[in-house]
This record gives sequence, C-alpha cells and structure tokens, in this order.
Amino acid sequence: MSAVREQTAPHPPPSTHRPRRTTGPGGRGPSKDGGRGIWPYVLIAPAVLGTLYLLVYPLIRAVVISLQDFGLRQLILGDARFVGLKNYETLLGDSRFWEVVRRTFLFMAVNVVLIMVLSTLVALMIERLGRFGRIAVLSALVLTWAMPVIAATTVFQWLFHSEFGIVNAVLTDLGFESFDRYPWFAHGPAAFAILVALIVWQSVPFAAITLYSALTTVPTELYESARLDGASGPRIFRSITFPIVRPIFMLVLSLEVIWTFKAFVQIWVMTNGGPGDATTILPVYAVQTALSSQRYDLGSAASMVTVVLMSGVLVLYFRQMFRQEDELS
Amino acid sequence: MKLRLFAGVSVLVMTAGLSACSSSSDDSDGSSGGSTTIDVWLMRDSVSAEFQKDFVKGFEAAHPDIKVKVQIQEWDGVGEKVTAALASSDAPDVIETGNTQVAQFAQSGGLLDLSDKVDELGGKDWLKGLAEPGAFEGKQYGIPYYAANRVVIYRTDLFKEAGVEPAAIKTRDQWIAATKKLNSGDTQGIYLPGQMWYALAGFVWDEGGDLATESGGKWQGGLDTPEAIRGMEFYEKLQALGKGPKDSDEDSPPQADVMAKGKVAQVISTPGGANVIVENNPELKGKLGFFPIPGKTAGTPGAVFTGGSDLVIPTASAKQDAAYTFIKELTGDAWQKKLAVAMSYVPNKTTLADAVASDPGASAMAVGAAEGHATPNTPGWAAVEAKNPIKDYMTAVLTGGDPEQEAPTASEAITTAMNSGS
Repeated sequence: MSAVREQTAPHPPPSTHRPRRTTGPGGRGPSKDGGRGIWPYVLIAPAVLGTLYLLVYPLIRAVVISLQDFGLRQLILGDARFVGLKNYETLLGDSRFWEVVRRTFLFMAVNVVLIMVLSTLVALMIERLGRFGRIAVLSALVLTWAMPVIAATTVFQWLFHSEFGIVNAVLTDLGFESFDRYPWFAHGPAAFAILVALIVWQSVPFAAITLYSALTTVPTELYESARLDGASGPRIFRSITFPIVRPIFMLVLSLEVIWTFKAFVQIWVMTNGGPGDATTILPVYAVQTALSSQRYDLGSAASMVTVVLMSGVLVLYFRQMFRQEDELS
Repeated sequence: MKLRLFAGVSVLVMTAGLSACSSSSDDSDGSSGGSTTIDVWLMRDSVSAEFQKDFVKGFEAAHPDIKVKVQIQEWDGVGEKVTAALASSDAPDVIETGNTQVAQFAQSGGLLDLSDKVDELGGKDWLKGLAEPGAFEGKQYGIPYYAANRVVIYRTDLFKEAGVEPAAIKTRDQWIAATKKLNSGDTQGIYLPGQMWYALAGFVWDEGGDLATESGGKWQGGLDTPEAIRGMEFYEKLQALGKGPKDSDEDSPPQADVMAKGKVAQVISTPGGANVIVENNPELKGKLGFFPIPGKTAGTPGAVFTGGSDLVIPTASAKQDAAYTFIKELTGDAWQKKLAVAMSYVPNKTTLADAVASDPGASAMAVGAAEGHATPNTPGWAAVEAKNPIKDYMTAVLTGGDPEQEAPTASEAITTAMNSGS
C-alpha cells in the first residue's frame, strides 16, 4: 500500500493545483479594491435569505413541532402546547418504529452495495470500450439518468403489473407457469426487490459516469509499468486504480447513502409503503404518520431521528475523508 | 426531509391560489360596488361546466349582492389541500368534501357548526348516508350535497349472446350463476379488481358485519368476524369469474378503460362510469345497461357504500352568511333536481328521488341507495383509508391466503390505525 501511495504522489499536485487556480481570481478580486467589500455580501444575500427561509426555518419549525402536541386541531387552530420529549418517547417505544429503522438500513445497504458494484463495473467497462461502444453506453446512461422519477416508477409499475405486465407475460412464455398473473406487489419481498431494482437502475448512471471520469485521471504509465511487473487485472485494480479513485468513490458512496436513505417518491408512488409494512422506510413512515394519521408531532420526531441516524452514517465517511486528506498533505 | 418539502410546496400552492383569488375578488368588488364575492371549492365531476354556469348565473340573479367564484379541485390529495386551506387565514368560503372526510375536519375545529340551520334546510328528509357522516358529536357540520353509490354496469350485447336476462338477477346466487355463464371464451364474466374494498364492504354489510365497531369509545376492526369472513368469501367467488388483477384497485388500470377495450360483461361502478366507458370506446354507446347490486335474497338489494359529498363552511371564512346562502340554494330542492338529472346523482333528500326516475343508471342506483351504508363515522377512519390494510387483506386472501388467518391481522391493523389518530 505504501508503495502505491508513493506512486500516486505525482497525482495530487495537479488535483490540488486545480482548486487553487479556480479560487485564485475570486480571492484576488475583492482584495484589489477593498472599498467594495460590501458588494459580495449584498449579492449573496438573496440566496442566503432564501436558504434560511426555505431550509433553515422549516427545519427549526419541525424541531419545534416535534416537541409539541401537534395534531390536525393544532394545525388549524394553532394552540399547540409543549410536551417536552414525549413524542420521542412514544416513537422510540414503538416496536413498529424500530422495525422501520432496521428495514431502512437494510434497504440502504442493499441498494448502495448494488449501485457501487454495478457502477464500478460499468465504469471499468466504458474505459475499455472503443469510441463507438463508449458513446453508445454513455448515451444510454445519460438517457436513463434523464428519465423523470415518476415516469420511471410508473413504467416499472406497469412492467410488473400482475394482469397486464410484460414481465409476467415473458416469464410465462418462457415456461415459468407459476408467474401467470403473479401479483408482485402483493408479496413483501417481491415488492421490496422491485423497488431496489428501480432505485439501482436510476442511480447507476450518475455513479458510473462519475467513477468513469475519475478513472480517466489514472495515468496510463502506471498501468503499463504494473503490467510489465506482471500484475494481474484484479491486482491492478486493487493496488492502482482503486486507491487513486478512492476519494471520488467515497464521495459517490456517501451521496448514494444519502439518496437511498431518503428514497421516498418511488416507494410512495409504487407501493405506498405496502404490502403491510414491507416497503415502509423512515421517510415513508414519517409522511404516513404526519399526513395520514394527522400526527404532525410524531412525524416531525421521526424526521429528526432520520436526520440524526443519517448524520451518524456520514460522520464515519467524513472522518475517513479528513484522515485521508491529512495523509495526503 | 420530504415532510418539509411537502409543507413548502403546499404553502407555495396555497399562496399562489390565494393571491389569485384575492386579486380577482378585488376586481369584482370594484366593478359591482359593495357586493361580496365568495370563493367556492367544488370537486372534479361534482358539476358539469354547463350546470356550473347555469347555477352561478341563476344564483347571482337571485342574489345580486353576492358574486360566486367556483374553483374545481381534483380528488387526488384533496384531504391535504383542504387541511391546508382550513389552517390558512384566508380559506375559501364553501368547500365540498367527501362525506367520509367531514368528521376529521369537524373534530379539528376548522368547520362552522350549522346545527341551527338543519330544520330550515329540510334536514329531516336528508339521505342518512350523507347527513350522518356530516355530523360529529351531535352537531351538523356538513350539509348533504349529492350521493352516488355503486351499481353493476353490464354489456347488453354480451348478455344477449350468453342468453342471460339481467332483469332476472335478483339474488347473489342468481348473480354468480349468470356471471359463470358469461365467463366463457374470451369474455370476462366480471372485471373485479382484487382491492375494490367498497364492494367488499357491501358484501360484509349484507352479512350483518361491519368494517369496524365501537364500544366504550374505542374502535375495533371487524374483518375477523364470521359475517365479514363470509363477505370476503363471496368476493373471492365473484372475483374468480373474470381476470381482475388481484393486487390492484379499480384505478390502476382504470376499470372503465378495461371495460371499453376488452370483452368484459360487467363491472361494479357508479353509473357515471358508463359515460367514461363510452368516451373511451364510442362503439359501446347504447350497449351498456345497469342493475342494482343483488342482495342475499330477492327482497333486499345488496348493501352499498353511499359515496357522495357534503358542503362545509370553514370557521376561517370571513363571509359565512353569504356562504350559507350559497349552500342553501345549491342544496335546495330546485337546484338539486336539476343537478341529479344533469349528473345522474342521487339528490340529497329522499323526497326528491323521483327526479331521476327516467335515468336508467340513476334509478338502479336509487334502488341500492335504500340499503346505503357509510364507513365508520370517526376521525380515525381517514387514517385507515390512507394506509388501507383492507386492500392488503383482500389481496392476501385472493392469492391463496386463509381468511381465518389473514383477517385478524387486518382487523388489528384497522384497530391500530383508527386509534393512532389524535
């Protein structure tokens, strides 16, 4: 490993050089004419105010609601009363909630592993393809990526429809008679698997393209010398490719963790969290609690717990990233 | 996270809608001087564009000091929209809501108590299926507007081919026998999707069961009673006589599309569904007939869920008197008769049933309306419909589950949902 680090040493300078170049002009501008010091703040104020109003205010409001007794009555008449941490007690004491938390992590893990493995393979494949194949695959990825979420979800719903779906028709034609009118969405594991397939399908393009662009930064001389030394394909990947693209890989990984952790639209449109609770993950649970049962307080509390859990996962990533940066500098 | 997004979006939508309203009312205030403008929310398909124009014209002629601005809302997601409206400081003055939705809004304190107006509006003749859900804890908040319930829509040509006489179908057994006969070759006897829980509710009521029962202020799911299980068994028997998907409801795919495109002999639908079928396939014009859902014996038609709407006035409305005048006109006998004829609805009073006697769909519906039932009248019911464990239960049984085993789970889920609300 240390050998690899030495080998990668030539790489960091260009990459650290790039940020410096882009921040350069910006940093120099204000210092030249210090009199206009207020302008940058004025110009950025609308964006900051917008963010404060649309992001920070609702966040604080949700925290407040999670500490109140807040149902439909309080929403309409507005006489909510503070109840301290009672909502959190109710929530954390509910076995269904813990079931949902467990399912959320399972859902995230399955999705993220599949997304990372598939997109790495796709990225490696693109790198080896000729010009035509590369354009074809990249176009396919971009088109998939460009597909609106609801449209894709609806298409998947139709693919797996028990009576009119093409999946059942094809499987039956191939001789799997048991799939004749098989109700996919009536079985928890089947519905779960379809959602995983949908989310992986939607997420691979971004991850694959990003990883592919990272792969193009690996200097070819390294590959050549490794091959001269007699390294095998997997060995090259393990000792050269992966360590170099690792920062990007970790970035994509953490983004996918966030995205799959809060996957909502697909689930809500496709199964509404059902059958039973089979596809209910935290965001779905929060919306169900808040909007269907009109318990805005418990729903907000569930959202807060979601945020805390997700931060927990990401802290691991950031620690790793900072440690890596320390090593590099 | 998404919750905040939702709140944000609804606030945006509300503000946009409200600013649009207020600007236009400013205009009309200016032009007519001293008159009040009321904002009215009606639901999609509640009135046709033509009826709306006639009514507004007639109303404004009779009440020159009131201007009416009608907005048509979509059923999809209307619960959240009305909630947001009630919570805002500038709510519409009259809102049409589904009869089963009134209880939760009434409980929240967002609706005006109209109990003292009941006599004036002729409340003693109101349809029970509309008046009862419109009341909460002894007070009347929702004023019955119109009702509709499900009937059987059938293809006259397919019935003739199979030699089945629809007028002779009076009992469940005759219905099953006829449907079996129809269900041959590429013809589906009946297209009954597996999750049409309103139809199941009817069969359960026929048997003397209920979706949920109350004792001592606590609600309990009732799907595991022997009566309810018999209802489910009948549903299963009927569902098998066609190719209805076992895991979806009548909206996905829309059953009117299915009937329009395939050889489907019957569907269970409100009579209005026939128009949609013909719209999708004009060749079926004149080939659709109606009969009431058969009951267990020839004497009693099948029990049906009385769907329909009530009109409510938000407490936040600043023009409650004008709003009441509007409700009084629209739910009054004169306009009710016209509405029932124009839209094939059951009018809000039993005394007005004659108005639709000449309409085949509406008269089939009126027979069933005599056995009309409502869903449990409690704010908690909305939570059951939102999550709908009944649908999961139906699919589980239809795909081979044992009702005796699945029903207690479903009942438990209903109980939890009903008592989880505030």
